[in-house]
Amino acid sequence: MGLMKYLVRRLIYMIPLILGISIVVFMVMYAAGDPIQIATAGNPSITEAQRQFLREYYGLNDPLPVQYLRWLDHFLHFDFGKSLYGGKPVNEIISIYFWETLKLQLVSIILAFAISIPIGIYSAVKQRSWFDYLFSGISIAGVSFPVFFLGIIFILVFSYQLGWLPSAGAHGAPQLWPVFGIQHPLLDELAHLVMPATVLTLAGLAYNTRLLRAGMLEVLRQDYIMAARASGIPERRILFKYALKNAIMPLITLLGMSIGFAIAGAPATETVFSWPGLGRAYVTAASRLDFPLIMGITMIITIMILVANLITDISYAAIDPRISID
Amino acid sequence: MVRLALRDRVNSEAQERRSASQWAVAWRRFKKHKSGLFGLGMIVALVLVAIFHSFIAPYPARPDPGAFSPLYEGEAGQPPSWKHPFGTTIMGTDVFSELVHGTVYTLYVAIGTTLIAMLITVVVGISSGYLGRKVDDVLMRITEVFLVFPSLLLILVFARIYQLVNPEPFWNVLGISIPVNLTMIVIIVAVFAWAGNARVIRGEVMALKEKEFIQAAKSLGAGSRWIMLRHIFPNILPQVIVIATLTMASAVLIEAVVSFLGFGDPNTITWGRMMEESFQDMSTTWWAEVFPGLAVFFTVLAFNLMGDGISDALNPRLRE
Repeated sequence: MGLMKYLVRRLIYMIPLILGISIVVFMVMYAAGDPIQIATAGNPSITEAQRQFLREYYGLNDPLPVQYLRWLDHFLHFDFGKSLYGGKPVNEIISIYFWETLKLQLVSIILAFAISIPIGIYSAVKQRSWFDYLFSGISIAGVSFPVFFLGIIFILVFSYQLGWLPSAGAHGAPQLWPVFGIQHPLLDELAHLVMPATVLTLAGLAYNTRLLRAGMLEVLRQDYIMAARASGIPERRILFKYALKNAIMPLITLLGMSIGFAIAGAPATETVFSWPGLGRAYVTAASRLDFPLIMGITMIITIMILVANLITDISYAAIDPRISID
Repeated sequence: MVRLALRDRVNSEAQERRSASQWAVAWRRFKKHKSGLFGLGMIVALVLVAIFHSFIAPYPARPDPGAFSPLYEGEAGQPPSWKHPFGTTIMGTDVFSELVHGTVYTLYVAIGTTLIAMLITVVVGISSGYLGRKVDDVLMRITEVFLVFPSLLLILVFARIYQLVNPEPFWNVLGISIPVNLTMIVIIVAVFAWAGNARVIRGEVMALKEKEFIQAAKSLGAGSRWIMLRHIFPNILPQVIVIATLTMASAVLIEAVVSFLGFGDPNTITWGRMMEESFQDMSTTWWAEVFPGLAVFFTVLAFNLMGDGISDALNPRLRE
């Protein structure tokens, strides 16, 4: 009962947030000037009458509040309008790219989370050992390394120099990428996934281990850990049952945030690997100022972030019984 | 009146003595922090390169970033050599020279973004934390909006719109030409870089507010503004310095991404812009791609190491 009430309250609370963000984005874009003028600037053969027709078609002649309300009405019916380039419905474009981004991001987020736990714990337990120094060094370097640059290095080494892996795309075209001489759609997909997923995993890993190590160091100093040790509870049980549960909280927050933001794709990383995902689609849309598409992607991502935050908050209560959701 | 003036003098003297020794202690601790010192050293080197860039770079900066005249005499696409330490691009520009000239823009981005972002962070954090109630409510709702904004996406749209508006390329301020478009990117990045930190500062301020010395100042009749400026601010300064250093790191990183994606200032050659220009040809002239990338990496690393060092030095709790 408490959970349902909490959920409803949080969902109602989201409404002004979503409205506010959509108004801000909408105003910014339409303050930029006439989107039709921008979109057709490179086309010398277009006439003013044709431009006028396009403005009428996209409803750009109405006052701004009317345009916004119409957008909102369509948004409530899950309709983001049509792209200014090619006229494809925004929904269709998003649904094409969404799954490729989700596939890439889910793999990397899960891997980064799973690998960081043993490294973070061991670094904290063996503080100031060679293991700790090594991984602390690697993780601060990893936090500082531009993710897209890591992708570039991977392409230079593994694609151009060694020729092991494909440098671009999510699927082999026109022919499949041979893995050990075997051409199979599944192997082809894996071969394309390896590099971008590894790059994103390494980037996430650097943040996660730093956070978990700091959390573990803090927790291991607490009195209740000493009490647990004094009562002869096995070290492994202390680490995983008593210490980790408290140290992992900031990591869960980060995980929740990164799932939301991951839907945005990493625009630069996707561009480097020519990954057919939302991030790269967004970069293209932004460089052409394709407003309906920009609006659509921004809103989808904002909603994803809000939902991820909500799930994070609920999972707090599941992990830590002291936190009550009411 | 006399008593008031006396109180102020005693107050400020005591504060100076205390803070001087506090900073001296922090500096002593920082000096023992090897990686922090290493970061500081790299930043100092970067600043020196930026100041003397026209003496250090063997070739002048491109007079017009759209044209590629400086070196185009059969020297295009050269691998690293004694003459061109980092090689030349496919367009015939010297990578080392452009990196050296680019330090100025990198520092401009780091410092400019951080100044603006920290101003917002500190003002929002302190007023929200100290004044509480209505002010806190309003400011925190605004902060939440900025926290859920997918900021990079909006930065790209802003940057692109500004590219198309195509203003005058440079402002001339006291004989220094300031790139207008890059300044806009600095402002946009800063506007999206304060929300998380403002929450941290708010938390600190809320804890400070309950301390005896603040209560004492209040009972002596000090106003809110006086307390916030003279008592709260000096006490959160260590935290502010750490956050500022880390903000510099992320500002450099974000500008590199924005420029690499082609949304940067068309009139300046930043490191990210160099990476964008060489990306298509990187299978042949890898040096033109890798050296700017390494420059970004080492700069961000330097700020991060310095930030870690300062944080350890100022926060005794983390020392053990």
